[in-house]
Amino acid sequence: MTQASGVSNELLALSEKLKTFNRLMTTKASIAQTPKEVVWTLNKAKLYRYIPVVPAAERHPIPLLLVFALMNRPTILDLRPGHSFVEFMVERGYDVYLLDWGIPGPEDKDLKFDDYTLDYMPRAIRKMKAISGAKEFSLLGWCIGAILTTIYASLRPDDGIRNLLLLTAPLDFSKKASLTFAKWTDEKYFDVDKVLATFGNMPGEMIDYGAKALKPVENYVGNYCKLWDSLDDPNVVEAWHSMNTWVTDIFPMAGGAYRQLIVDLYRNNRLIEGQLKIRGELVDLKRLRANLLNVIAEGDHITPPCQSEAILPKVGSTDQEIYRVRGGHIGIMAGSGAHKHTWPHIDSWLAARSH
Amino acid sequence: MNVENNQSTKTADPFEAFRNMRDSYLEAMSKTMIDAVNSEEYAQATGTLLTNYLTVTAPFREALDKTMVMALEQLSLPSRQQVTSLAERFANVEMRLDDMEAKLDRIVESSLTARLDDMDAKLARIVELSSATRLDEMEAKLDRILDLSAATRLRVPPVAPLPKQLPKNDTKSVHQASGKK
Repeated sequence: MTQASGVSNELLALSEKLKTFNRLMTTKASIAQTPKEVVWTLNKAKLYRYIPVVPAAERHPIPLLLVFALMNRPTILDLRPGHSFVEFMVERGYDVYLLDWGIPGPEDKDLKFDDYTLDYMPRAIRKMKAISGAKEFSLLGWCIGAILTTIYASLRPDDGIRNLLLLTAPLDFSKKASLTFAKWTDEKYFDVDKVLATFGNMPGEMIDYGAKALKPVENYVGNYCKLWDSLDDPNVVEAWHSMNTWVTDIFPMAGGAYRQLIVDLYRNNRLIEGQLKIRGELVDLKRLRANLLNVIAEGDHITPPCQSEAILPKVGSTDQEIYRVRGGHIGIMAGSGAHKHTWPHIDSWLAARSH
Repeated sequence: MNVENNQSTKTADPFEAFRNMRDSYLEAMSKTMIDAVNSEEYAQATGTLLTNYLTVTAPFREALDKTMVMALEQLSLPSRQQVTSLAERFANVEMRLDDMEAKLDRIVESSLTARLDDMDAKLARIVELSSATRLDEMEAKLDRILDLSAATRLRVPPVAPLPKQLPKNDTKSVHQASGKK
């Protein structure tokens, strides 16, 4: 009798687990809920301003602009209430803006870093300055967003950029043995022109496969096994749901920018070598004079630390700091420990430089 | 004793052994697979696979594209290329609008600055004039007061000396002296 009830309980628990699992696989979590307004648009790009919650007199006078990568949604910066970097910074009195690049269509296949850094970013920044009334601003770039912000800060150092925060920035491509992506995209094996001639933009599915194939067992099997083991824990379930909602929201990357990423950076390392030209203008990192915080994820398999470390001696900033965090490419900002380590450090560094 | 109690109350998990085995297997597999995808051979294999796929499917895609263009033309509908071209033009128009907005903002700002400067100058002039006028007026008034004061002093008759005090019993003589008879 006892054995029978035990089996019955196990079956009930299994049934509940299956229901939860099914819900997680078939529904989207509500992410990016911090109140915001669209203040500027251009083509697919949008500039959001998060509604301040701190009175104007108590706010930091220098606004903060967040720039994320080109091939994923920036909603990772505002994942869910209580676990959102944006919410954290807004509550600490920052005037926070987010530049969302949007989803490139076939008509955007020729968009390059040149367009993003010299057409889109200056215009968005102009709007942000007009709204905030500030002449200076802070810029935070994450992943490919860090490449764009570095290029921008080097090309337009007198545009009012006071602070530059780089998160997991893939800037140095010299150590090819440590870069799996560099091997896959080597010109001996990968014909980038043929791919882009076929698809126009780089398909999101291929980018997603590339990211997941770096750790195939973890991403395709281990991730789901861990979830199955924790389906009784609502905190783990909700965190997984929101992260999965973000991860599965994939879209293409503009063809021109993808070609530059592969040819100029992965193959020829032109940015750090001082040979990258943006619309004919040489990107001279010495011209980057903004206060610099370089956040490096020690366990990052997408952007290994060696890719981010080389920037410091190359730039002209006198105020510069490296902050190393345990965690992966996304985990340092969206993981369970982010609000204890990464966010407070960013806040304290920025607060001291936002007056 | 306590340890024994805890052990006896702990629910036996029939899947624990399976989970441990699974985790060990996944860990070993993970290391093997990471090494595999990080090899030149994997890069070469995936590169060749992708190139072949693109080469083999290219004629089909081309044929499909041509058929689609013809079909859309027959239906008087724009082709993908035409829509794309239109979207590019929209993006350019939007960029020019943004430039115009920026220029307008600059004009408004400089106009406001100029007007504020102008107003500032006017206010300063008004204050200056007002002060000067008021000073002139005050000066004129003072002059007038001085003139009036001088004239008044000239018109005032010399003060008559007071009569000498008379003895108390000599009232009659006083009446007489003043002409009362």
